[in-house]
Amino acid sequence: MECLLDEKIQHYIEKSLSSVEASRIRDHLIVCKKCQLKYKQYVQVENGLADPVYKNPPAQIVKNVMNKIVVKLPTYSSIFALIAASMVLLVSWIYIYFDFSNNSLIQALKLTSNSTSNWIGQVIKIISNIFSSVYSIYKSINKFFEIIFNVNIGIEIFGLSILILSMILVYALYLLLVKRSGKQKI
Amino acid sequence: MLLDDDQVLIEKILDGSRSSFEELMRKYNKKIYNFVIRMVRNDEVAIELTQDFFIKIFSVLHKYNFQYKFSTWAYRICYNLVIDHIRKNQAYVDSLNGDSISQKRLVESNNFISEDGFDNLEKDEVKTYLWKTVDLIPMKYRELILMRYLQELKYDEIAEIAGLPVGTVKNRIFKAKELLRKEIDKDGMFT
Repeated sequence: MECLLDEKIQHYIEKSLSSVEASRIRDHLIVCKKCQLKYKQYVQVENGLADPVYKNPPAQIVKNVMNKIVVKLPTYSSIFALIAASMVLLVSWIYIYFDFSNNSLIQALKLTSNSTSNWIGQVIKIISNIFSSVYSIYKSINKFFEIIFNVNIGIEIFGLSILILSMILVYALYLLLVKRSGKQKI
Repeated sequence: MLLDDDQVLIEKILDGSRSSFEELMRKYNKKIYNFVIRMVRNDEVAIELTQDFFIKIFSVLHKYNFQYKFSTWAYRICYNLVIDHIRKNQAYVDSLNGDSISQKRLVESNNFISEDGFDNLEKDEVKTYLWKTVDLIPMKYRELILMRYLQELKYDEIAEIAGLPVGTVKNRIFKAKELLRKEIDKDGMFT
């Protein structure tokens, strides 16, 4: 009897032959040492393939993908800092725009804070100093534009800064409130 | 429609759950990475392609049709990504053709495998040697062997992914196993 084709042996191992053909092959394998050896080798190949040697993927894959697909979320402290910065800018702008530095009420508060040593006086002093610094920056910017371009646009720059900062703030709040809850649309 | 585990995860992802995507990634990471690394035979490229695959999956997930198995859909994307990469990189072309395995390639592969921690000769010599040899067989056989045994796909699923008739897939896998058997026999590695 002729030896079996490799393909036939593989079909036999995969049990994809008819019962008649499978019996014919089984009978041949009993008597043919050469095909028996081939059969054993194919069984080893099949068993080896069915139990693959896996390599563990580096942990960086999942991490990198998550970093790429997930929008960086702001922290609560960064939101607080943004709110504080926006408030300072907004109040400074009002302070400058309405020229509160010459307002009698502010002057009175300043004088009061100078003469008091309690925490309210300290707070007024700090706020007053911040506003004075912002006011100085405003004046410098204004002067710069006046010298270079001969225009007076200090207020507009301040307004624009507040607008940009407010937009960043609103976006950060949106990320914080909507996406931090674990929901993020694809 | 009754959803399988993957599809339940996908629904959650589409609903905005990031952790579900991470879960899906962890489930497929090992099989995808191992398929890619055995196809491209380069660690860095494999990492990059695996990452690209998951990013691609994330960006096209809304197009996934729930009537089909997710794994088949995902593996097809992975297969196309890898094949595109191989076609663009001519360095791989020499290993795409020919039915014989040269001694030189065997040496190269041994180095590659040892460096990457595949070496496990003491535990199961034949199996380890067999998988080393898988890395050396021509691409047209290797890709099908990997899909069949690494990704545990059925013949019809492989045919769909590779765009080949089922008969061709079966014949190539049989031919691949014949190559593997002969190579291992030639080197006297059978027990």
